[in-house]
This record gives sequence, C-alpha cells and structure tokens, in this order.
Amino acid sequence: MRTKARLLAGATVAAVLALPTAAHAHLVDTRLGDFYGGALHPLTELQQILPWIALAALAAFQGARRARWVIAAFPLALLAGGLAALAVPAPPYESLVGIGLVAATGLALAAAARVPLPVLVGLAAVMGLLHGFQNGQGLPASTDRLLFLAGATAIGYVVMTLATGAALAFLRGVGGWRPIALRASGSWVAAVGIMVLGLQFFAPTAS
Amino acid sequence: MPPVPSKSLPLAALLAAIPLAPALAHTGSGVAIGLQSGLLHPITGADHLVAMVAVGLWGAQLGAPAIWVLPITFPLVMAVGGLIGLAGVPLPFVEPVVALSGLALGLLIALHVRPPLWAAAVLVGVFAIFHGYAHGRELPGAADPTAYAVGFVVATGLLHLTGILIGVLVAWPAGARLVRVCGAAIGCVGLYFLLASVGVLS
Amino acid sequence: MTTSTSTSSLDRIRAAALTCLLLLCGVLLPTWSASSHEASMAVITLREIAPGRYLGQWTMPPVDPTLQPIFPPHCRWEPPELVCGERGLIGRLSFMGLGSKQSVATIKVLPRDAAPQVYTVSAAKPIVMAARTPGTDLAVWLDLAETYVNLGIDHILRGIDHLLFVLGLIWLTSSGWMLVRTITAFTVGHSISLAAATFGWVGVPERPLNAAIALSIVFVGVEIVKLQRGEAGLTARYPWIVAFAFGLLHGLGFATALTALGIPQATLPIALLFFNVGVEIGQLAFVMVVLTLIWAHRQARAVLPRWGVALPAYAIGSVAAFWFLSRV
Repeated sequence: MRTKARLLAGATVAAVLALPTAAHAHLVDTRLGDFYGGALHPLTELQQILPWIALAALAAFQGARRARWVIAAFPLALLAGGLAALAVPAPPYESLVGIGLVAATGLALAAAARVPLPVLVGLAAVMGLLHGFQNGQGLPASTDRLLFLAGATAIGYVVMTLATGAALAFLRGVGGWRPIALRASGSWVAAVGIMVLGLQFFAPTAS
Repeated sequence: MPPVPSKSLPLAALLAAIPLAPALAHTGSGVAIGLQSGLLHPITGADHLVAMVAVGLWGAQLGAPAIWVLPITFPLVMAVGGLIGLAGVPLPFVEPVVALSGLALGLLIALHVRPPLWAAAVLVGVFAIFHGYAHGRELPGAADPTAYAVGFVVATGLLHLTGILIGVLVAWPAGARLVRVCGAAIGCVGLYFLLASVGVLS
Repeated sequence: MTTSTSTSSLDRIRAAALTCLLLLCGVLLPTWSASSHEASMAVITLREIAPGRYLGQWTMPPVDPTLQPIFPPHCRWEPPELVCGERGLIGRLSFMGLGSKQSVATIKVLPRDAAPQVYTVSAAKPIVMAARTPGTDLAVWLDLAETYVNLGIDHILRGIDHLLFVLGLIWLTSSGWMLVRTITAFTVGHSISLAAATFGWVGVPERPLNAAIALSIVFVGVEIVKLQRGEAGLTARYPWIVAFAFGLLHGLGFATALTALGIPQATLPIALLFFNVGVEIGQLAFVMVVLTLIWAHRQARAVLPRWGVALPAYAIGSVAAFWFLSRV
C-alpha cells in the first residue's frame, strides 16, 4: 500500500509538473473555465512553482511537526494575497521581491538550514501573499475573479501538500544521498533565482 | 554572442516582469521554448556536454566528500559565472577554457589524480564560472529567461548525474578501468575543441 | 469505533484533507453551482438543396453571437447558403469563438441521398474532419473518440456536485479494497442510467433531477456524521449499494450533457461509449488526487484538531442542502 501510494504520488507530481510544458495552457484555460484557468496559472509561472517546491522541501527538512504548518499557512496567504489584489495597488519592487524569494528559498534548501517555526511560517505567508497578489492582478474583465483565485488557491494547497508529503516520505527513506538530492534541487532553484535576479539588475543597462 | 537590439532588452525585461493573465496564452509556448532551448544548450554543445559529464565522473571517482559537495555547490558557482556574463564583464578565453575544462578533467580522471578537496573544488569552481558565463550571456535573449535558466541548470545537473551514475562503476575493478577510459575519451574531445577554438583546427 | 485511537487519527487526517477541499467548494458555491449544468450548445443544420449546395440554419442559436462556423477552403459560405461544388462538404470543419462560455457546437449535415451526419466541435477538439462515409473511416472514429472522451472529462471536472459525491464516498469507505468496490458500483450505476437516458428509455426533467442529486450529497454528509458518532449507517456498512443507487441518479445527470447535443442514432452508441470513458477518466483522476492528498497529509501528520473532525461533513451537508434549496 505504501509503495503504491508513493508511486501514485510520484505520478501525480510528475503529471502536475508536465502540464506547463505541454504548452496548451490557454486551451485548458478557455475550455474548463476560470477555476481551472486559475489552477493552471501558477503552474505555468516558473517563478511561482519553483519556490513552492523549494519551500515544501525546506519545510520537510524541519520535520513533520513544523512542516505541517506550511500546508495550512501557505494556501490561506495565497487566497488573502489574491483578494488583496482586487482592492489595493501593487506594492513597490513586487517582482524583485518575488525573484528574491526564489533565490532565498533555494539557498536555504541548498544549505538545509534549520529554520525556526515562526520564520518558516513567515516565509510561507510572504510568498503566499505575494504570489496570490500576482495571480489576482490584471485579470481581464471577462474572468470570474473569485473562481480564478479559488483555482489558484486550490493548486497552491495541492502542490504544497503533495510536495511536502512527498519530500517528508523521501527523507524518511534509507540512504545518505536523499538529503543531498533534495539539497541539490534547492541549489538548482537558487541558481535560477540568482541569475534571473541578476537579469533584473543588469539587463536594462547591459546594452 | 549574437547582438541583441538595444530596444528589445528593456522591453523583454518589462514583459518578463508582468505575469498578467492576458499573457497566459503566450506564457505556455514561451515557457516551453525557453525550457527547450535551455535544456538543449548544454547538451548540443559537445564541449559543454563532455565537461559536465566529466565533473560528475570525477566526483564519483574521488568519492565521499567530493561527490556530496559537488552537486550542491556547482550550480551556485555556475550562477555566479552567469551573473558575470549578465553584467557584461568581459571574460577572456571563454571558449578555450570551456574546452580546456573537458581536456583537464578528462586527463585527471584517466590518470586517476587525487588532489586535496580544496584544490579540486577550486579547479571545478573556475570551470563552473566559465560554463555559467557562457550560458548567462544567452539569458537576456531567451524567449523566457526564467525557463531558459531552469532548462540549462536542469540539463547541467542531469549531466552531472549521468557522470555520477557512470562513476558508480568504480566499485568494481573492471568498472574503475572503464571510468578511466571514459576520462581519456573526454580528454580527447576536449583537446579537439581546444584546438578548434584557438584556430589550429577548423 | 471512534474511541480507537488509530481510527480517529485516520479520521482527522482525512478530515484535514477534505476540509481544505471543501473550503474551496464553499468559495465556489455561488458561481460554480450555477454553471455546472448549463449545456451551452449551439447547432447549425445544413440541408443539401442541390448537389454541393447547402442551406444553413441555426437550429439552436449560440449564446455568443460572434460564433461562426469555418468550412473547408473549397466551400463558399454566404449565410445562409453554403456552396461546396462537386467535391461536396468534405474536409476541415471548425468554429471561430469557442471558449468556456460556448464550449461545444455541432454541425448537422442532411445530404439528399445519404444518412444525416453530425460533427461535434468543442474547445477541446476544435477541428473535425468531414468525410462522405462516416463510421467506416478510422480517422472519423478517432475524431469521435477524441471529441467525446474530452467532452466526458470536461463534464465531470466541471460538475462539482458529482465530484462532491465521490468525495463523500471516498470518505465513507475505510479500506482500499472497499473503495475500489464502491467506486466501481458508482461507475456501473451511472453508466447504466447514462445509457438508458441517452437512448431515451427513461426521461427525467432536469430541475427535479438536479435537486435529487443535491439531496444525494446531503445524504452522504449525514452518513458521515453518523459514522463519526459511532453509528455505522447504511452507507458505512454497504457503501457499494448506496453508491450504485445514487450512481443511477448521477448518470441521468451526465446524460443531460449528452442528449443536449442531438446526436443521430447511428453515432449514438459510440458517442455514448467514449463520453462514458471520458467521465471515468476524469473521475479516476479526481479520486487519485484526493487519495494522494490524504497520503500527503498522513506523511506530514497534518491533522485537524479534535473539535474540527466533524466540520467537513457538516460542510458537505450544508453546501448540498443549499444547492437543493436553490434547485427546488
């Protein structure tokens, strides 16, 4: 049963990850309505999905007792951020903070940092609020905002729960290479974050 | 590096910074193209490819601390190289050094050289900076810079993994010999590209 | 039953996963329930008046007036007349303006000397190939399969009431084997009634049907609360019987999406088969996601506090009760 469940989890995660590359994002968007459009949106935004997975793995390094709070805090923050986007204008440096979060969570995961619970939940809350805000921003008038945000929140909950659960199960397995593999993935995320952050600073003046 | 029209850079940065829903229809294909070109970039360049496999192979040959330090630190150092490339800092001899990295690592594997960890780390770190620099300069022109970065970081990591998995063979005497033969082959490919890049071969 | 610690912690894990899903359902309530059963169909009928000349007419006008059929390039479409010349109406058929509001459109062709043909174009399958002899060509079959499988998947994924019922069934079953039997019973039930309704053997008006479907979900909510209080109700003891019975009901609901298309008798069995396959694919995917979520909650030991265990059952019940009232 356990191995079956693992296979299942692996397959689901793989399917979820494969979706954005399938490149028919807009088809699902128009075909299944705004809920699924909202659910698909963060998956096509690498600047959202990468730090989500890094955050889940980072949480898993802190053990189940701390990690489970992220599962609760993150989707709620995501929803709150989305609703805030309907009411207030964008905060300054919103996109820079977003990319900074990619680098920061990636680095923390690569270092397998011990993070106190308030910091972990705070990181989840800031990321959720910011990404929720980005999801809720600038939706076309024909979009049902509530459905779209509900979809985005749902996918946030599903991805965060599955990734945290899978990372915890992965770390419980035997083998010293397991934490190394997770940390290496954090280092990948951090590398992407650092370079895209660099692009923000250098690109406009590079020419 | 292909010249990028000066107007398109701020525009591209601006577009990349707007994760709006109207762009959703396009991000799908942009992400796919970016990922694809990022994934293919290290794989289609044989000099990059053999050097990255060599890094994993050497790590596996060196054993315990190196094989653990390598997959975590290499991408980060490579990102620093990418930053230097983005900043437009001129770095001399990029192509020869990339080719040299294949040659040097191949030789080190073939001769089974075991330097202290810090020396190995510095050597691989220097190569990582040059590899990152070569990729980083392509970044601003990518269809979706984030996707491109993900693509080449993942491709590089997978090439390391390939090297490490081949390196598992060192547990057997015959496998250890095979690994050294692989190293020699990599050194030959590196030598070819080194000669080509300095203009001896065309 | 609830006093055993292992059972109660399992309950709390499930409750945590389900609450999260239900919170979202709650958000969706006002907008989604209204749209879950609307069949936004459009049908254009082309009657052949002379060889290669057709007279077109919307027999079911589109919701979105900008929707336009796109005919093969050798045809000239000057509403209401379509002139295709000697080759006749063969080639690519499509619609401009298909989206979530107008997801399906049908072109009915009534040739003078052959059986009527129907081509269904959906957002998931935006182009179909028209051929002279349908049913003999493998490509036509594949076209049909792609269209109706996708239609089935879309229908179940957009039908939140069906998903909610399946969620309740997952909850009420305690072992993996029992879940397999229960979901199979539900599938058999809704396949039977879907077929019966599509072939016109039974007919139920849509409003009372939807109300009854809502009521079935209320019933499941009540059964869950009963189970938590330690009284094993009918569903907890024989979940497959309940699943089969209500499956019959939900199948009638699935049929409304299919009958609205006005598929001709010749293609009906095959369309029905593929539609049903699509529904099962969607349902299986949903069950997999829920099971994986429960597994992940267990891994993270993310459980609801003891006082919150009954919340999701009450949430299911009240959401469905609200639907029932709004549909009566």
